[in-house]
Amino acid sequence: MDQAVRELSYAQAIQEAMAIALETDERVFLMGEDIGVYGGAFQVTGDLVERFGADRVIDTPISELGGAGVAVGAAVTGLRPIFEFQFSDFATLAMEQIVNQAAKMRYMLGGAVSVPVVMRFPAGSGTGAAAQHSQSLEAWLGHVPGLKVIQPATPHDVKGMLLAAVADPDPVMIFEHKLLYKTKGPVPEGYYTVPIGKAEIRREGRDLTIVATSIMVHKALEAARTLEAEGIDVEVVDLRTVRPMDKETVIESVKKTSRLLCVYEGVKTLGVGAEVSAMIAESEAFDFLDAPIVRLGGAETPVPYNPELEKATVPQVPDILAAARSLAAGSR
Amino acid sequence: MAQAKTKDLPAGVNLPFIYREYSADRLKQALHKMYLIRQFEEGAEESYMRGLIHGTMHLSIGQEASAMGICMPLTNDDQITSTHRGHGHCIAKGAEVSRMFAEFFGKTTGYCRGRGGSMHIADVTTGNLGANGIVGGGIPIAVGAALTAKRLKSDRVVVSFFGDGANNEGAFHEALNMASLWKLPVIFVCENNGYGMSTSMARSTAVPNVADRAAAYSMPGVIVDGNVLSEVAEASHEAVRRARAGEGPTLIESKTYRYRGHSKSDRNRYRTKEEIEDWMTNRDPIVRFESELMEFGIIDMTGIRTIREAVRKEIADGIEFAKASPSPEIRNLERYVYTETA
Amino acid sequence: MPVEVILPKVDMDMATGRISRWFVGEGAVVKKGDLLFEIETDKAAMEIDAPATGTIRNISGKEGIDIPVGEAVAWIYSEGEVSKPANEPAAKPAKAAAIAVEPAAAETVTAKPVAAAPSINAPSNGTRATPLARRLAAEAGLALDAIAGSGPRGRVMRKDVEAAIPAEAPATAKPAPIVSRSPASSQPRPAPQRAAGAAPLNFAWLRQGEGRPIVLIHGFGADLNSWRPMLAAGPVDAPLLALDLPGHGGSPRQTPIDLDAIAADVEATLAALDVGPALLVGHSFGGAVSATVAARGHADVRALALIAPAGLGPEINGAFLQGFVRAKSEASLMPWLRQLVADEQVLSKPFVNATLAQAADAELRTAQGEIADRFFADGTQTFDIRGLIAALRVPVRVIVGANDRIIPASQSLGLPGEVALHVFPATGHMPQVERREQVLKILLEMARA
Repeated sequence: MDQAVRELSYAQAIQEAMAIALETDERVFLMGEDIGVYGGAFQVTGDLVERFGADRVIDTPISELGGAGVAVGAAVTGLRPIFEFQFSDFATLAMEQIVNQAAKMRYMLGGAVSVPVVMRFPAGSGTGAAAQHSQSLEAWLGHVPGLKVIQPATPHDVKGMLLAAVADPDPVMIFEHKLLYKTKGPVPEGYYTVPIGKAEIRREGRDLTIVATSIMVHKALEAARTLEAEGIDVEVVDLRTVRPMDKETVIESVKKTSRLLCVYEGVKTLGVGAEVSAMIAESEAFDFLDAPIVRLGGAETPVPYNPELEKATVPQVPDILAAARSLAAGSR
Repeated sequence: MAQAKTKDLPAGVNLPFIYREYSADRLKQALHKMYLIRQFEEGAEESYMRGLIHGTMHLSIGQEASAMGICMPLTNDDQITSTHRGHGHCIAKGAEVSRMFAEFFGKTTGYCRGRGGSMHIADVTTGNLGANGIVGGGIPIAVGAALTAKRLKSDRVVVSFFGDGANNEGAFHEALNMASLWKLPVIFVCENNGYGMSTSMARSTAVPNVADRAAAYSMPGVIVDGNVLSEVAEASHEAVRRARAGEGPTLIESKTYRYRGHSKSDRNRYRTKEEIEDWMTNRDPIVRFESELMEFGIIDMTGIRTIREAVRKEIADGIEFAKASPSPEIRNLERYVYTETA
Repeated sequence: MPVEVILPKVDMDMATGRISRWFVGEGAVVKKGDLLFEIETDKAAMEIDAPATGTIRNISGKEGIDIPVGEAVAWIYSEGEVSKPANEPAAKPAKAAAIAVEPAAAETVTAKPVAAAPSINAPSNGTRATPLARRLAAEAGLALDAIAGSGPRGRVMRKDVEAAIPAEAPATAKPAPIVSRSPASSQPRPAPQRAAGAAPLNFAWLRQGEGRPIVLIHGFGADLNSWRPMLAAGPVDAPLLALDLPGHGGSPRQTPIDLDAIAADVEATLAALDVGPALLVGHSFGGAVSATVAARGHADVRALALIAPAGLGPEINGAFLQGFVRAKSEASLMPWLRQLVADEQVLSKPFVNATLAQAADAELRTAQGEIADRFFADGTQTFDIRGLIAALRVPVRVIVGANDRIIPASQSLGLPGEVALHVFPATGHMPQVERREQVLKILLEMARA
């Protein structure tokens, strides 16, 4: 690729991806609550309504269920909707359309239709928005065959994966951690895609594999830099896609390091890391494990309001350091 | 009741709508299809009772005029979303009964290759986007399809069938609001058969008519006798005209009755035998349509017998086709979950 | 035609039903819609109406028994119709069709559960160990319960197994643990109790099994554990005996006078173990020993496999021999170990550690220094086995690596025509490690022949 690369924020990268999709494909349109003149609750759509008009950047009423259904219906009949949920928590209002309709329609109809809808979910804690605006529900949707569920961690990936999602014939759910929106990183200009279903090794290492998702990738990398100084060589795998999961990359990494630490923000029990752990335990990598698998996930509570409590709800860098040290030392 | 308004009038004057609108051939075809729906349902019921069909099914016997009347002004290009009681809609929209039976039998030749069954019967080629197992599930999808029609300026209209039970689902209200707001070419058809499973309209709905809800979404709400083909078709015509003209959606409430229980495990405890008897003997949609056709000299008894016989053969052939068709292979269990990319 | 009254399916997942009560009897006149009987399901009772008007005949559906869905339970004859005997054949085709369709549906259901992977019978000796430690121990033929675990609550970890590999080398006739990683391999037969008292050399049964035993004799500076990596390459169904040469492994630290002296020790050990007809396999210096044993005729050698054998020519890498014997640390040993193989990736950590552990044993290395001086004086092989091989009557195969830097592969040329020669490209002095699958396959073939 000889495309110029600039620093963009995660939110800018999403906006740029959507602008490219709108420019290059007449079928693409955006819908969501307050995505027009307001620019989106997190200013992700920004001024797109001015550039592409109100019938391609559609403000919906506060009707998550109906809106999701409209997106599904439009997708089945030939359009390429990108539906923004204001908060991922509001997916709960639209579960019927996402889980019963979007995910199953192709199967129920024996392959007669495809449902190329993209749904975007601003997710995660850290903004003081408390229990109903801070959840990480990717595991909920990851449990549903027929959906694809992705969690890009960098501006580069979110642009490329969003464009891959728009081109994908099946429903793709994008979970965007709200604290990532302002993070910056290199983003190539123009059109490119990052494949759905492929994990990325962010850092190679010999002693320990950390499989992380979304914002936890950055925390894992930060921890890895500290651990390097202590002589612990950490490999960080950015899972990127929850469904379909890239088993091969994770298995190969664990076979190399013999130790696995899963770090994810969703509630620990029955979360993404639970699936990664079980997958490894069932795989050929089992015979390479030299320590129990460790999971660091969200606390078994709703996300609290108090900032200290809120922080304690999700894995932080010191938690990762402690878990990695004990794993590497064989004291787990 | 609105039946046979024209009985005492001279022929050709103020005939009911369909006799003014359609040729004799089209009307005979409509009768043929209504028979096809009824005998399909009876054939499916029979096969179910013999254990040839598993799961459950929801029969629309008694509601034939509603399905047929709504679909009369539709073209093959127009689309519908349907309900769990959707066999009639599928046939009225143009599907073949043989492939429907094959689907019910779980065969690869079925419309959904044996993956959907009765509750997800669909024929996308004739514009049926699918029956739905979720009450109200198809309503927002129809609005989305209408959004596509408007965006692509395809002149297509979309009909969303649903039952009286769905009018208390949030999806109904959200969908009607958006359709009206955006003036989309969609027609909401509530087939009110009096009961959402066992719960009557009176016990479930705060307004006496579902059509009364239309006022809240600034669209026409029309009530028709769902057992009178002409009334249903007339309302559908006007709604389709409005939709194609860009004037927005219409809510049609088609009052009808299902002879059978909600599903195959219904014991009919919430209604009386007398009530069912009354609808079957005094208001049967096929009997009414037949007598009108004979009264207006469009068909005679011989013609009716010919249609019945043709339908009987079509149904018998369809069941044979289904029986003889292959079952899906287990190794293909995971096909159609995602779109296969070459 | 009389109208059939069937036992209808009235509920999901209903294959049979029970008539709890008939409301009409044989010969009763019924009107279409009249109540005929009641079906009991586990959820509720359902009333079944008459499908036609007429007279009830041939009631075959008894109360209280399970009746398959779709089966005729009675017939309704219209007025004037003649009653036929019971078991009306008209019901049959439908039933046959039901049979033709139902299995497919049933199959779909049974396909759903994801089968639990059959568990391999792991040794359940209660030892806590990581999966990796278990695997490494199994590959090295070590008993887990003999290894001290350094992990939490005594869990055996990789480093514990690696440390245990030399120490575990059986100094006594303790039966080696039997580990079969392949569920396909046959059950090992019970190990016969073998008297070890008279065996002059240390030995270990690396595998138990059926058929002709394979006897393995290692090369200079190695020990019987050096065969273990090869055994991890696949299932072995033959009994497998490995010996330590004098001055090596767990055998007495003596310096034998000549090849015949070593051969005599081997023969005495085989006799003490009652080995019987065997395939003899020797690597490098062990190859020369094996050929000598075969030629002497005291042991029942039925076939001979020589891997990178010594004694076929004068040259040997003298620098390697000296450097190898002198090396005391990983840093000084590794350059020499690298000389052994074409691709150093095959030098596993356990292999290096095992070699190092031997290097730490001063007495052992002193004995080996003397052996090197005696048999490979000044970088020259002081013995020749060509004549012995030429006189042998049993099948002989020679297996060498084309890139052998210790003993040149070219020395294996010029052997009698009936001796088979396997030359592996891109392989050094350790074909049994570097091409373990293929070498193991050749040996098993020879043992079975």
